[in-house]
Amino acid sequence: MIRYKKDTDNIVTLTLDMGGRSVNVINHEIAEAFVPVIEHLKGEKEKGLLRGVIITSAKKSFLAGGDLEYLYRPGSPEEIFHFAEKLKGILRDLERPGIPVVAAINGAALGTGFELALACHHRIALSGPKVWLGFPEVQLGLIPGSGGIVRLMWLMGIEKTWPILSSGRRYTPQEALQAGLVDELASSPREMLDKARAWLLQNKEGRRPWDRANCSIPGGTARSHTVATHIQMLAAMLARQTQNNYPALQAILSILAEGSRVDFDTASRIESRYYTGLLRSQACNNMIKAFWVDYNFIKEGGNRPKGFGKFRPRKVGVIGAGRMGSGIALACLSHGLSVVLKDVSKPIAERGREYVRQRLEEWVAEGRKTKTEGEDMLRRIHTTESSREFEECDLVIEAVFENRMVKQKVMREAEEFTDDYSLFASNTISIPITKLAEASLRPENYVGLHFFPPAEEVPLVEIVRGAKTSDETVARAFDFVRAIRKTPIVVKDDWGFFAARVQNTYILEGITMLQEGYPPALIENLGRQAGMPLGALALADSLGLNMVLRYENQAAEHYGAKYVQHPAVSVLKTMLEELQRPGQQKRAGFYDYEGDTRLALWPGLEAHFPPAIEHYEQKGLVNRFLFAQVLEAVWCMQEKVIHSVAAANLGSIYGWGFPAFKGGVIQFIHDFGADAFMEECKKLEEQYGQRFKAPRLLSKLEPEKIA
Amino acid sequence: MAEAYIFDVVRTPRGRGDSDGALYEVKPIGLLSALLDAIPGRCAIAPEEIEDLAIGCGLPLDGQGYNIARAALLYAGWGHATPGMQINRYSASGLEAVNLAAMKVRSGWAQLVLAGGLESMSRIPLGSDGGPLMYDPEVMIRASYIPSGVAADLLATLEGFSRESLDRYAYESHLRARRARDEGHSHPSIVPIYDRNGLLILEEDEHLQPDITPEELAQLPPAFETLGRQGFEEIALQHFPTLERVRYLHTAGNSSGAADGAALVLVGSLEKGEALGLKARARIRAGATASTGTAFMPTGAAVAARKALQLAGLSPKDIGLWECHEPFAAVALHFQREMGIADAAFNVNGGAIALGHPIGASGAMQLGALLDEMERRDVAIGLVALSAGGGLGVAAVIERN
Repeated sequence: MIRYKKDTDNIVTLTLDMGGRSVNVINHEIAEAFVPVIEHLKGEKEKGLLRGVIITSAKKSFLAGGDLEYLYRPGSPEEIFHFAEKLKGILRDLERPGIPVVAAINGAALGTGFELALACHHRIALSGPKVWLGFPEVQLGLIPGSGGIVRLMWLMGIEKTWPILSSGRRYTPQEALQAGLVDELASSPREMLDKARAWLLQNKEGRRPWDRANCSIPGGTARSHTVATHIQMLAAMLARQTQNNYPALQAILSILAEGSRVDFDTASRIESRYYTGLLRSQACNNMIKAFWVDYNFIKEGGNRPKGFGKFRPRKVGVIGAGRMGSGIALACLSHGLSVVLKDVSKPIAERGREYVRQRLEEWVAEGRKTKTEGEDMLRRIHTTESSREFEECDLVIEAVFENRMVKQKVMREAEEFTDDYSLFASNTISIPITKLAEASLRPENYVGLHFFPPAEEVPLVEIVRGAKTSDETVARAFDFVRAIRKTPIVVKDDWGFFAARVQNTYILEGITMLQEGYPPALIENLGRQAGMPLGALALADSLGLNMVLRYENQAAEHYGAKYVQHPAVSVLKTMLEELQRPGQQKRAGFYDYEGDTRLALWPGLEAHFPPAIEHYEQKGLVNRFLFAQVLEAVWCMQEKVIHSVAAANLGSIYGWGFPAFKGGVIQFIHDFGADAFMEECKKLEEQYGQRFKAPRLLSKLEPEKIA
Repeated sequence: MAEAYIFDVVRTPRGRGDSDGALYEVKPIGLLSALLDAIPGRCAIAPEEIEDLAIGCGLPLDGQGYNIARAALLYAGWGHATPGMQINRYSASGLEAVNLAAMKVRSGWAQLVLAGGLESMSRIPLGSDGGPLMYDPEVMIRASYIPSGVAADLLATLEGFSRESLDRYAYESHLRARRARDEGHSHPSIVPIYDRNGLLILEEDEHLQPDITPEELAQLPPAFETLGRQGFEEIALQHFPTLERVRYLHTAGNSSGAADGAALVLVGSLEKGEALGLKARARIRAGATASTGTAFMPTGAAVAARKALQLAGLSPKDIGLWECHEPFAAVALHFQREMGIADAAFNVNGGAIALGHPIGASGAMQLGALLDEMERRDVAIGLVALSAGGGLGVAAVIERN
C-alpha cells in the first residue's frame, strides 16, 4: 500500500500503491496504513537517521480524491467527523515542524489527493498532459475536508483562495505554478525526484507558516474591514448566482470567514464540522448521484448498443457555418478532431472560422487553452463551399436552418462524396429524423445529433434514432459524442426529443400562471428560485413563442383523441396572433428588448393578463414548476423516449439547466420523497388538472425501482 | 405609578463624519465628557444626584468600547455615584437609552438618570465592528441581511416613490435645516466643543450644505446600485418576488451622511426634580421598541410609533409635532404616509439628510429637537420615532406640562 525506501542520504521515499485499484484513493485503508509509517519516521528522526521524506505514487495519477463509493453512502455524523479528523491528524503529523516532506506529484492530484500534497512542505509537479491539480469537490456539492480549505487560505490568503475552491477548476501544472498551488515543475519523473532530493538536502526542517510565530494569513483575516467587506460581497454574489441553493459554496465562504479568526487547528476542526454536515446533505447526495453514479453509467456505455467496436472519428464535416455549425466545429477541434466546414460559399464558410478564432482568443485569454493549442486548433479547420471535400470525413453533421427540403438537399450532396461507412447526422430541433432520412442514400447510417447552443459549451448531445437508423450507427454516434467529451443520451424520434419536450412543460406552466393572474415578475422570480437558469417567460421569448406552440401542437398530434389542451395554448395564441409578440427574435415577447438585451417585462402584460392573485404560497408554486417537468420526464421514460434514469437526470441538468442540486429530473422524486411526491401530484392534479396526474410508471412501480 | 419627566436636553454640534470633519480630531469620549461637564452648570445640580448614565452607541468598540459611558464618567471626574452603561439599538440607540432611563424612573428604581448617545463616525465608521449580521456569510444569508441603502431603495420601489419625490423631500430637509440654523432654533441645547485650552473647535452643525439646489440633487447618481447588483437585490426579490427589480433611487443627496456628535437627556421623577429645583419640561408618556420581522425593512419607526401611541392611549391626530429619523428620504416619506402626517407638522427643522446622522446620538438629538420646537410652537404632544438597522424601530411620545 505504501512502499518505503530509504537512500544513502537518509531520504525516505514513500510510494503510494494501493492494491487492486488502478488509482490511489483516500479511504480508511490508506489512512490506517499511514499511521505506523509516520510513527516509524518519527523514530528514525529521533535516532538521527532521517533527512527528509518524498511522497509520490506508483500509479499514473498521484492520488485521486476521496473514495466516492464511501462518500455516496456516508455513515453517521460521528463516523464522518471522526474519519475527517483522523485523516487531518495524519496530515498534521506529516507536516509538524521537523522532518521536511516533499510531494512529488507525478500525476493527477485532485480533491483529497491535492490536500495530501498541500500538507507537504514543498510541492513539485511533473509537467505532463494528464497531470491535473485542484479541488473539484464543489462540482459534487462537496468541499475539501482534509484541511485543504484552511491550508490554502494560510498559503495564499482569502481573496485568492475563494476562486480556486468555488470554481472547482482543475489546473495544469503550469497554471498551478502560476497560481501558487505548487512550488516547482519538473519535466521528467527523474528530474522531479532529483529536485525533491535537492530541496531536502537544502532544507533541514520543514515548518509551515501556521507553525511559525509572527506569521499570519496573507491579506489579513475576516477581522480586517477590507477582508470582511470582500466576504460580504462574495456572499451577496452567491445569493445572486445560486439563489443559495448550493450549500457547499456557502460553507467554503463560512469556513474562510470563521477559520481566519482562529488558529490553524481550530479552523481545521471547523472545516470538518461543515464537511460532515454537507456530506450528509441531500444536495450533495443528489449531485454525487448525478455527476458520479449517473455520469459513470453513461460514460461506461449505458444506453450504447452493445457489440460494436469503438469508433474513433478523426475528421468531421460540418455543413452550415452559422452559430450552431461553428460551435460544433469548435467542440470537435478542441478535442483533437479535424473539421471541414462547408457553407454555400467560401466567404460564408470563413465566417465560421472567424467565430472559432474569436472564441479561441477568449479561451486563451481565460487560460482555458494555451496559445499553441489555439494555433494548432485553427490549423485543423478547413473551410469550403464544396461537398467534395467531405471525402475523408468519418462523419458529416449538418446544422443548416430548420427546413426539411434544405436539410435533405445538403445531406444528399454530402452523401455523394462520403463512403458507405461514414455517418451522416442532422442537428435538428423539430423535424423528425425518420422523415429526413427518407431522402438519404444510407438511412441506416443516418442519425440525429442534437447539440444545444452554445454547442462548444453545453456538455450534452441528444442522439436521435430514426426508424431506419442502425444500432451500429447509434453506437458510433455515441462514441463520437464521447470523443468530444460530451454526454450522449439516446432519445426516440418524437417531438422535441427529450430535452426540449420536458423543458417546454416548464415554459407552459409559467405561461399558465400568467393566465391565472399571477404577477409576471413572480413567475420569473420563483422559476429562478426553484433553481432554473431563466424565468419561464424569458425562456419562452428566447426560444420563440412559435416554437413553444409548435411543440405543444406536435404533442396534440401525437396523443390524438387523448390530448387535453394545455391552458397555456390560448395565451400563446393571443401573444402570437392578437398582440404580435412572438419573442426575442422579433424584439417583442413577454419582455421588451433593445437589440439583444432583455430590458423588462412588457408593461402591456398587465392589461391583457391582469394580475388577480395576491396570496400565494411560494413553495407550492416552486413545486408546480418542477413537478411539471418531472412528470413529463417520467412520461418520456414510460414512452421510451429516453432509456435510463441516468440519461434523464444528466439530460435535464445539462440540456436545459434543471437544478443540479436536485440531482436531475428523476432524482428529484427521491429528493422529494417518493410518497410525498405522489401526494403532491394528487394535490396538483386536483388543483390544475390532468397534466399533473402521475404516469402509470410511477403509480404501478415503486419509484425506487425506476431509479 | 411614577412618571418620567425630561428636565434638560443637550447636544454637541454635529461634525461631518469623515476625516475632514471638525470633530475628527476630538476623541469620542471627549464629545461625551463635554456634555457631562455642561450638565451641573445648566441644571445647578451636583453630579452625585445622577444615579445612572445610559449611552446608546452603534459601534461600541475601539475609542467607543469597553463601556464608553463608564469611561466618560470617570474621565469627567464624576464616577463616584454614577455607574454608567452602554447599549446598542443601532440608529435608535440614543432614544432607546432615554426610554430605558424613563423605565427606571417609572419603575421607581431610580429618581434621576442621564441618557443619550454618542457616535464618532469619523473615527469609527459603520461596519468597523465586523458584526455577524453584516459580515458572517452564514448569518447574513440566513437573516437575509441587506445593506440599509439597498433596503431603502427596496422600500422606495415597494412604495412607488419617484426619484423626484425623494429629491423634493431631501431639498425640503435642507431648506428647513438651514432656516432652523439661521433662526437659532437649536441654540438653547447646543454645547460647543472646545479644545483643552478653551479654544473653540466647533459650535454649529457642520454637515449642512445650505446652498444645495434641486438641480444639483437631481444630478447625483444612484448610490447603492452597484451594491444591489452584486447580489443584495436578489435577496430582496427572494422576499418580494412580485417585484421585477429594485429601482435605485437614493443618492448621496437624499440619504443621510455620516456625522460625529453626542447628546444627553436628563430624565427623572417629578419629586426628585422639585427637590433639586429642576423645571420639568415634558413628560415621557410612552416609549416603545418594535421589530418589523426582517433584518432589513427600514419601516420599524411606524411599528414602534403605533405601539407607543397605543400605550399612551393616543391616536396620530393627537400628535401636534412629529420627528422621524430620515436616514433615507423614502424612510421618512413612508413614515409620514403611514401615520398620515401633514408636511407642516413633520420634521419641521430638517433631519439627518441635511444634518447628518451620528448613529448612536441621533435618537437623543431628535428628542431634544422635538422638545425645543414644541416649546417654541407651544405644542402639547409630540412623537419621535426612528427606524434602525436589523428591522428595528424605537419611538417615544412626550407631552409638555
